[in-house]
Formats: sequence, structure tokens, C-alpha cells
Amino acid sequence: MSAERWKEDEALLESLRKGGPGAVDELFRLYQGKIFNLAMSILKNESDAEEAAQDVFMTVIRKVDTFQGNSAFYSWMYRICVNTCLMRLRGKRRKETVSIEEFMPVFTDEGMHASPMDDWSKEVERDALNEELGRMIRKYTEELSEKYRLVFVLSDVEGLSNEETAKILGLTVPAIKSRLHRARLYLREQLSRYLREGKAG
Amino acid sequence: MNCKELAYMLADYFDGSMDPGLREELDAHLAMCEPCMVFTKTYQAVADKTRLLRRHIEYEIPPEVRKRLETFVHAAALKYPEKVREYRDQVERDRREKVGDLVRAATTGDLSGATSLLMESHCAACTECRHYFDVLRETGTPQAGDPPEGVRSHVIALMQTLPPGEEFFLA
Repeated sequence: MSAERWKEDEALLESLRKGGPGAVDELFRLYQGKIFNLAMSILKNESDAEEAAQDVFMTVIRKVDTFQGNSAFYSWMYRICVNTCLMRLRGKRRKETVSIEEFMPVFTDEGMHASPMDDWSKEVERDALNEELGRMIRKYTEELSEKYRLVFVLSDVEGLSNEETAKILGLTVPAIKSRLHRARLYLREQLSRYLREGKAG
Repeated sequence: MNCKELAYMLADYFDGSMDPGLREELDAHLAMCEPCMVFTKTYQAVADKTRLLRRHIEYEIPPEVRKRLETFVHAAALKYPEKVREYRDQVERDRREKVGDLVRAATTGDLSGATSLLMESHCAACTECRHYFDVLRETGTPQAGDPPEGVRSHVIALMQTLPPGEEFFLA
């Protein structure tokens, strides 16, 4: 995360602790988009995400005193958001998600690729495809179970390091890496199928 | 290295955490295996495109949700100083209760192993605490009210050195 971001957070934290006027408004201005996005990626429902975002801001406001500077402020906030959303998910019937196993690469007994490979890496460099591609990546991400979705969103979409993601989710770095890798393998396969079918059609 | 092994090592390959020897092996395989080359390129394209298309992938906050949320947070901001005070009071009450629990457990000898070790080594160095707890153990009943400020602050410091989730008394 950038140094400016860090500075902004430091100043915000300072002013929140003092109970300075406008501190909470500033907190909202800086984080509303991030928190809503993260809540949506977990809950996949606007009104749930809205309520969760309310809870997150309340929790942060109430607990800012107990925040210890040994992690970055934003990662503390992400962690609160993840926990709040997971709590909301608990007990709720989860929508059936795709089985990630169906989208892992297939190999022969000798460990060679079993299916033909289509190189679409050049094709997706065209900007004209961006909107469609973004939409498809979001759609496929939504189909993943939380286990993979959260890691993928924090690491690859939000650009956090594996260490930061591990801290936020309370997992080990190797666990993050393995989930991230599987999520990418899955997306690679989904996008391959999508682009292949698109070309055929 | 075969194709399957290669596919499962790609994350390490791209985040730079791969052992140099393995990396050489992987590069050698890539150079002569067309399917793996394509697989690797498209795998990398997924990560690259995701980062690049972040704005398309993220959920934008709808204006009406943003407005409602802002009103809510703003209302919370107005009550903020009051809430902070309330919260600090709550923390203080919880702490007082915990200190009371620990003093009782120390009197009746119900401290957990880790805590009684900590207590012992602290009391060996601190006359005030040693005296306070010696008296308690002799009489067998905790005194009414909070322990003196010195003892109280040492007990709080001691509780804070326990790992989170670790109970200081025996179940």
C-alpha cells in the first residue's frame, strides 16, 4: 500500500482517537467505497452489504481506542468488515456455488496436459474487451465459494500482499497462496471456455 | 518436472518465492512445451487483467445506498464523543470485574498454571503485591473493594501478558 495512504490513515486515526470534529466523516469519505465493495463481494446482496457497512463503521468508531498500531489501519478495518460479513452469512442458507474441482486443469497419467490449449492471452489485451472481461471475471468470482472468493478479492482485485490477506483472514500465508492459485486456475479455465465459445458462436 | 507439477507451481513462479533451481527447471520445461507455455501465459493474463480491470470488477456503491450510509454514519459522528466515553466506561467496568476475579482466584488457589507462575515471579520482585496476596491467602477471604492502585495496575499488566483467550483461573 502506498506511503500516502499510510499517512492519510495515520492522520485519520489520530483525529478519531481525539474525537476530533469531522473525523468520522473523513473515515466515511475514505472508506465507504472499499467497505461496500468488500461487503458486496462476500454477501452478494445490496441490502445485506448496506447493513454490514453500517455495522462496520459503528464497530470501527467504537473500537478505535483498542486498535493497536501493529497492523495497518486499513487492514484492521478490512478484518472487521470480513468478520462482520461472515457473521451475517452464518446461519443463512448459502446459494449453491460451482464446484471448483470441475474447473481445475486436467492431466494424463503421465502428468501431461490432457486438453488442447488455446492461447487467448494476446486477445484479451485489446481494450475493447475490457468491460466484458471485467464483467465475466466478477461473475465467475461470484460463483466461487467464500473460501476462494475472499482470498481472490483481497489479493488479486484489491492488490494486497499475501501477508496482509493472511492477517485479515486469520490464515497462514501458504493457505492464502494455495487458495489464490486455485482461484486463478479456476478463472483461467472459465475464461478459456468463455472465450472459446464466444469465438465459436 | 512434468506439466502437472509445473501447473501447481505457477503461483510461486510469479510471486518470486520459487527456489532458483526449480525456477531453472521450470523455465527449461516451458521453453520446450507449447501447452505449458500457453497455460502459463493465460494464467498470468488472469492475474494481470484482474488487477487492470479492478474498476470493472469492484462493486460500485449505488448513490442512494451511499446517501443512506452517509446519513447513518454522520448521525453516529454526532454522538461520537459521548459514545467514546460510554465505551471507555464499559472497558473500565470489565477490567474491574476481571481484577476482582483474579484476586478471588489467587486467594482460593484457583489460578491457572501459567498465571500462578507469572504471579509468583512477579511477587518475588514486588513487595507491595507479595504483601497484599500473602495477607489474602492467610485470611482466606478477599478484602472488600478494589485492591490498592499499585497492586491493581500490576495485576492488569499481568493479565495483559497472557496470550489472548487464555483464562487465568482453573475451570
